[in-house]
Amino acid sequence: MAPTPGQRPDRRDSDEGLIRRIVDGDESALGILYDRYGGLVYSVAKHVLGDSGAAEEVLQDIFHQLWRRSANFDSARGSLSSWLLVMARNRSIDRARRRTPQLEDQDAASLHGPSLDIESEAAQNEMAARVRAALQALPEAQRVAMELAYFEGLTQSEIAKRTGDPLGTVKTRLRSALASLRTVFRI
Amino acid sequence: MNEHHQFEEEIALYGLGVLDGADKAELEGHLSACSACRDKLAASRGTLALLAFAAPAVKPSPIVRERILEAFKARGGGPIGSAPPAPERRGLRMAAWAPVWAAVGLLLVAAATWLAVDNRRLSRRLSDLELAHSQLAAASRELEAVNARARAALEVLTAPQTVQVDLSPAAVHPEPHGKVFYNPGKGLLFYATHLRSLAPGQTYELWLIPAQGAPVDAGIFNTDSIGNGQVILPPLPSGLTAKVFAVTIEPQGGVPAPTGPKVLIGSVS
Repeated sequence: MAPTPGQRPDRRDSDEGLIRRIVDGDESALGILYDRYGGLVYSVAKHVLGDSGAAEEVLQDIFHQLWRRSANFDSARGSLSSWLLVMARNRSIDRARRRTPQLEDQDAASLHGPSLDIESEAAQNEMAARVRAALQALPEAQRVAMELAYFEGLTQSEIAKRTGDPLGTVKTRLRSALASLRTVFRI
Repeated sequence: MNEHHQFEEEIALYGLGVLDGADKAELEGHLSACSACRDKLAASRGTLALLAFAAPAVKPSPIVRERILEAFKARGGGPIGSAPPAPERRGLRMAAWAPVWAAVGLLLVAAATWLAVDNRRLSRRLSDLELAHSQLAAASRELEAVNARARAALEVLTAPQTVQVDLSPAAVHPEPHGKVFYNPGKGLLFYATHLRSLAPGQTYELWLIPAQGAPVDAGIFNTDSIGNGQVILPPLPSGLTAKVFAVTIEPQGGVPAPTGPKVLIGSVS
């Protein structure tokens, strides 16, 4: 079947193709997307929450959201994998801090980051190794500040309180860490 | 041309969620008026999402997949419209009582304003309740699943046809794999997966084998519990043209020239 004019000729099993199949009610498409990204979403949730039961609930909730909102997904504005990663992090932090969902809707709606080429397991493993290597290359204090920010959702003042460092020092560390990561990932 | 260059750093910090107090208020004031910076924020958040890959990889229980697909089937599949159903509108029978209707009109305007405010409050409350409900339902399903699994496990243990088999370590392990990123002017990054753990007194050593001359020590490393190892920016003579990279097993502390067995090797293409 030839693509209609103006439509990108995506593979049927690309993320975008699968989303279209989910809109049409195709259960197997949801299964493929789950197999592709479920582990990644769960890993983030487990790392943030520590508890596997709570992490599984977050994972389930995010995939419910995925199919409930599939008709609204706009691939021109952001990749599905970015959306899933942002949702995984935000939902988990909201839950860990016992907040009602706060950030993800507007974050996800306004997301148009890089189109991540991480559809295969090998590509995901390689990306994980690159990110871990980039974080490992940071000085210890900068890495700790970034991890508290990203995985615990702490603000700069909260990080200062947690580590006992002056606020100015924390700000400098976060700026330096982002500057280093920017050179690797163009943040 | 970009007159908002000074905000770039703040935007990345805001995207990470660390700004608070006056820093946050100042940037939000700017963002509300600047679409270019809002676009930068969205792009920055998208890239920051990559940090999620730093979380150690773990696998969820297979039950979760079943639950998600069952829920999808139960709802008939496909998306659910995000817009709430339009409220039913009722026509009002007009009468010739103009002053009364004017008063009623004023009352309706006041009531509509109050209802709009109350509606927003109720919507938030509804979201909270929906979340609580979905969490309770999930907990209940979890309990049912645990009970069902316990029964199923007992049946396996007690059924007459059940066989018992002792398993030993398999001969086949996942293949070790390594990857080098090397730039003669900027340095070297290396990571490896599925390496076996070494005996005490041994270490892995990475070698840069130049186009001419002896192998150069590019750092020693050990592996974590699942066989991952890495070497980040080791000290190397600048400008070396690499031909081959290799990993060998050496005595603790490393050696100046390779002596042990090669476990990984790769040529520069």
